[in-house]
Amino acid sequence: MSKQRGCENCQAYRKEQLIRLGIEIDQYDYVIALAGNPNTGKSTVFNNLTGLRQHTGNWPGKTVTRAEGGYSYAGKQYKLVDLPGTYSLLSTSKEEEVARDFILFGQPDVTVIVADATRLERNLNLVLQILEITDKAVLCLNLMDEAERNHIKINDRALSKALGIPVVTAVARQKKGMDVLINTIENVATGKYVCKPHRIKSFSPKLDHAVALLVEKLSRKFKNIPNLNWVALRLLEGDQHIIEAVRTEELGQLSENLKSV
Amino acid sequence: MVLLLRPITALLIGTIFLMLLAWLLWPRKGLISFWSKRSQNMKRKLQEDALKFIFDCEYKHKSCGLHSISGNMNLSTNKAAKIITQLQSIGLIVMKEDEIRLTDAGRSDALKIIRIHRLWEKYLADETAIGNVEWHHGADSKEHLMSLKEVDILAANMGNPVFDPHGDPIPTNKGELPTYQVQSSLSSLKEGDIARITHIEDEPSIIYAQLVALDLYPGMEVYIMDVTDEKIQFAANGKECILNVLFASNITVEKLSKIEPTQKKYQTLSSLNVGDKAQVIGISPKCRGQERIRLMDLGIVPGTEISAVLKSAFGDPTAYKIMGATIAIRKKQADNIYIKSRQNRNEQTARLRELSSVS
Amino acid sequence: MFNNQEIKSDDIISLTNTLRWELGIDFHDKIIESIYADASKIAKQSIQIEDAKNSTILDQKIDNIITSKWFGFPIMFLLLAIVFWITVAGANIPSSWLAAILLDTIHPFLKNIASQIGMPWWLDGVLIDGAYMAFAWVVSVMLPPMAIFFPLFTLLEDLGYLPRVAFNMDSLFRKAGAHGKQALTMSMGFGCNAAGVVATRVIDSPRERLIAIITNNFSLCNGRWPTQILIATIFIGGLVPSHWAGLVSAGAVVSIAVLGIVFSLLVSWGLSKSILRGQASTFSLELPPYRPPRILQTLYTSLIDRTILVLWRAIAFTIPAGIIIWLVANIYIGELSLAEYFIDWANPFAFYFGLNGVILLAYIIAIPANEIVIPTILMLTVINSGLTGIGEGAGVMFELDSVADTKRILTAGGWTLLTAINLMLFSLLHNPCSTTLYTIYKETKSIKWTAISALLPLTIGFIVCFFVTQLWLLFSS
Ligand SMILES: Nc1nc2c(ncn2[C@@H]2O[C@H](COP(=O)(O)OP(=O)(O)OP(=O)(O)O)[C@@H](O)[C@H]2O)c(=O)[nH]1
Ligand SMILES: [Mg+2]
Repeated sequence: MSKQRGCENCQAYRKEQLIRLGIEIDQYDYVIALAGNPNTGKSTVFNNLTGLRQHTGNWPGKTVTRAEGGYSYAGKQYKLVDLPGTYSLLSTSKEEEVARDFILFGQPDVTVIVADATRLERNLNLVLQILEITDKAVLCLNLMDEAERNHIKINDRALSKALGIPVVTAVARQKKGMDVLINTIENVATGKYVCKPHRIKSFSPKLDHAVALLVEKLSRKFKNIPNLNWVALRLLEGDQHIIEAVRTEELGQLSENLKSV
Repeated sequence: MVLLLRPITALLIGTIFLMLLAWLLWPRKGLISFWSKRSQNMKRKLQEDALKFIFDCEYKHKSCGLHSISGNMNLSTNKAAKIITQLQSIGLIVMKEDEIRLTDAGRSDALKIIRIHRLWEKYLADETAIGNVEWHHGADSKEHLMSLKEVDILAANMGNPVFDPHGDPIPTNKGELPTYQVQSSLSSLKEGDIARITHIEDEPSIIYAQLVALDLYPGMEVYIMDVTDEKIQFAANGKECILNVLFASNITVEKLSKIEPTQKKYQTLSSLNVGDKAQVIGISPKCRGQERIRLMDLGIVPGTEISAVLKSAFGDPTAYKIMGATIAIRKKQADNIYIKSRQNRNEQTARLRELSSVS
Repeated sequence: MFNNQEIKSDDIISLTNTLRWELGIDFHDKIIESIYADASKIAKQSIQIEDAKNSTILDQKIDNIITSKWFGFPIMFLLLAIVFWITVAGANIPSSWLAAILLDTIHPFLKNIASQIGMPWWLDGVLIDGAYMAFAWVVSVMLPPMAIFFPLFTLLEDLGYLPRVAFNMDSLFRKAGAHGKQALTMSMGFGCNAAGVVATRVIDSPRERLIAIITNNFSLCNGRWPTQILIATIFIGGLVPSHWAGLVSAGAVVSIAVLGIVFSLLVSWGLSKSILRGQASTFSLELPPYRPPRILQTLYTSLIDRTILVLWRAIAFTIPAGIIIWLVANIYIGELSLAEYFIDWANPFAFYFGLNGVILLAYIIAIPANEIVIPTILMLTVINSGLTGIGEGAGVMFELDSVADTKRILTAGGWTLLTAINLMLFSLLHNPCSTTLYTIYKETKSIKWTAISALLPLTIGFIVCFFVTQLWLLFSS
C-alpha cells in the first residue's frame, strides 16, 4: 500500500497502540466524520476502525442514520461518525440532510472522505464541496481492488497535490490501508500535517463579483472566520442556517451552537 | 346465520354506501373539497386581487385607473368602483386626480400577498408534481390563506428563493423588490437574434396555457429565425415554434451577445441507442427543483460523456454510464436532457452553416 | 482599526438579496458546473484508464442476461421462490423446537411454580397465561422465519442483485405511480411489514416513499402466512380429494398473496392519483457493480438484527395484548365474560361480512401481532360455543397439533367455507399490526399518514368481505 505523502517528520504507524472501542466511548479528543458518495465503503471503513458491525450492503443508501463509534490510537480517543452517503452538500433533499448537517455544522476535527476509485470524477464533486468548508480532511481512495480490475490507474501523489490533502489508498473490505489511514487521521488531527485544501477559484465572472462584494462586507463584520467565500456562497444560495447566523451575528459560534442542539 | 336483510337488499345498500363515499371524498370534485373551496372569503379575495394589480401598475410605472382595474380583473365598472371605495375606506389606497395610489399600508399588504403568491408558485413548481398550468391557480387561492410566518418557514425550507417559476422576483420578508427594469419582449427581437427567456407572463391564463403547451420556460435559449408583422418564428428547445406577436409580447427576454446558437436542434438523451455515446449539453429548464439538482449531482452537467448501456426488461428505464457509474433514469427524465451525439456532430455543424447562410 | 458598527447584518442580508436578483435564475447550475469543471480537471491529471473497453465487461454480460426480456423475470421469480421455499421449509424445525421449549416445557413449569408459591389465580393467569404465553407464541412463530428470510435477502442485496430487480420492475410500478424500489420493500414486507416500512428509506422520492409505506401492509407477512395455510388446509384443501388437497390449498394461499400484490399496485395507483397527486417525485437508481457477498458477516449482522427486532416487538407490544386477551376472557359481568358480551353484540354485524364476533374480537385484541390471531380465535371459540374438554381454559391461547381437531372446533363455532374465505381475505386486508403502525409513525412522523395506513386497508377489507359474502349468498340461495 502507498505510504503517507508529504509528511516527512510524521510518526510511523504503531499497531500496538490501536484499540477498537466500539460504542463504548464517552470521552474523546477528536471527532472524525466519515463522509462520501453512497456505496463507497464508508460503513466498511467504520467497522474496520471501531470493531463494530454496522450494516454494509451493495446498495446505495444502505446507511440512513448516522452511527457513532470509537477507537483509541496513540493515547488519543477518536470518536468516529459514519454518515449516510450523499452526492452533494448543495441539494436540499431531505434524505441527505443527516450527512449534510453534520459535515456543515457538526464541525468534525477531521473529515475522512471515502471515495470510490472507480468513479473518482463524480466523487470529486463532493470532495471539492467538502474542501470548500473544512481545512482538515483526508481522502480515502477506497475500492482500489476494483479500480485495478478495471485497469484504472490513479496517481495518488498528483491527486494529493491537487487537492491539498493527504490521499490514502485502501481496500476496506480486505482491511488494506487502514493502518495508513489511522496514522494519517492522527497526523491531520494533531496538526502534524497541515492541509492546504483546494478551493474553487472561479465560478462565473458575475458570481465571482457577487461573492467578492459579500466577502468584503462579511470580513468587516466577522473576523477570524476561516472561509468567508463559502459563507458568501451559502448566503447567495439562500441557506437559512447561515442567514440566521448572520442576522443574529452569531456566525462565529454557529458551529458550536448547532453541535449542542 | 341470521340475517335481517336479504343479500340483494344488502348489496344494494352496500353499493349506495360506496357511491356516497366516493361522492364525498373524490379528489377535487367531491363534496368535501367543494365545501372547502366554497368557504373562502370572496370579498377579501377581490380586495386583495385589486391591491395586487394596483401594486403591479405602480411597480411597472404604469398609471392605474378604475377602467384598467375592471378590465383586468374581469369585473363590471360598478363592482370595481365598489372595491376601490372599500380599499379607500380601510386606508390602503388614496385617489389622486383620477389615479389610484397605494398608501404605505396598502403597499406592504400588496407585497405580502405577492410574496405568498410567488413563493407558493415556486413551491408548487419545485417541490410538487403539479403541472405548470395549475401553479397560478393554486397560488391564487393560497395567497389569501397563508400567514406571513408560515410563508417564511416555507421559504426557508426551499432555500429562500428569489425568483418564482415564471421568472418574477419574489419580495423579501421585509418587502424589498428589485427596481423594475424595462425588458424587451420576444416580439421586439429581430431575425438572427439569440436571447434567453427570463419571464413568461402567466396572465391571462389562456395565453399562458398556449405558451406552456409550446414547452417554453424561463432560462431557455431562443434563436429567432423569421419575423413578420404578425408572426415570429424561432427555435427553442430544439423545436421550431411560431407565435403571433400578441403572444410573443407576453414573453420577456434577455438578449445574449452570442453569434451562434448553442444548437438549433437538440437531441435528447432518450433518443440515444444502447451502446452509443454522447456528450451532455444541458438539462431542459422544464426539469426543476429536486430532480434537476439530483441529476446534476449525478454528473449530468454540460460536457459530461454519457453512454446508454442497458435497457430494463420492459424497455424503460434505461441505464446510462455517467462518470464511471451506471445510473438508471426514466424515459420522461431522459427527454429533458439534451445531448450532442458523437456520430452526427458533422451533420449538425453542416446544418448550422446552412442555417446561417439562409439568414 | 475599522469601525465594526458601520456594517449592519441586515445590510448584508439585503445586499445578498440584491445580488441574488442580479444573478438570475440559473446560478445554482453554474455553481455545480464550476465544481465539476474543477473535478474533471483534477481527474484528468490523476487518472489513467487503460484498456477502457475491457473493464466492466463481466458486469455488462451479467446485466445483459439479468435485465433481458426473456430471462429477467424468470430469474427474479426463481430467486424469490427459492428464498421463500428455504424460509418456509427451514423455519418449521426451529419453530417446533421453540414451541416445545417455550410453550410445552417452560409454560407448565412456570404454572407449577406459581401454584407452589401460592400465587393468586388471577395473577398467575395474567402473568403466565396472558403475558408469557403471548410472548412465547410470537417468539416461536416469528423468530425462525425472520431469521432465515432476512439474511437471505441481505445476501442478494450484497451481491448487487436487488437494484437490478428495481430496475426491471420499475416500468410496472411507474404505471402505478410508484418507484421500482417498491418491488423490494414489498418483498421485504412478505417477511415483516415493519421491516418493509423501514426499508422504504431507500426510496429517495417523497411521494413514492409514502406510497410504498402505506401499501406495504398488502404484502402478506410471516405472521399471517400460518393463518392462511391453516385455514386453507382445513376448508379449501378439504373440498378436493386428499391427494390434491396440498396443491389446492397451497394454490389458495398463493392466490391470496398475489391478490395482495394486485391490491398493492391498485392502491398505489389510486393514491398517486388522489391524495398524493401533488407530492414531488423524482427517480434515479444507481446500479452498483456486482460484488461477491461476505456471507458470514452478512448472516451474522442480519441475524442479530432480526432477533432483536422480534424480541423487542414481543416484549413491547405482545405482552400487553396477552394480558388483555386473558382479561377479556376472565372478567365477568353477571353471567357472561367481556369476551362473550362483545361476541354476542358483534355477531349480527359481523355476519354481513361473512365473519363472526369471535374473529372481530380476535382481530381487535390481537392488533399487536397477527401470529396470535389463530390461537386467540380458537380459545374464544371454545369459550363461546361452550365446548368442553378442549383447550386450556379461559384466556389461555392454544393451537392444536391435529388439523382435524382444529376443524372440529371451528365448525362447532359455526364456521363455513364462506367464513374461511372471508377470514383469509380479512387477514390480508386489515390494519397493519401495531409494530408496523408504530414504525410508520416513526418513519413519517405524521399521525395523518399513520391513520390512513391503518384505515385504508381496513375499509378495503370490510368492503371486499361484504361484497364477497353478499354475492355468495345471493348466488347460493
Ligand atoms: N471490492 C471491494 N468492495 C468493497 C470495498 N469496500 C467496501 N466494499 C463493498 O462495498 C459495498 C458498500 O459498502 P458500505 O460500507 O455499505 O458502503 P457505504 O459507503 O457505507 O454505503 P452507504 O451507507 O449506502 O452510503 C459493500 O458490499 C462492501 O462489501 C473494497 O475496498 N473493495
Ligand atoms: Mg454506510
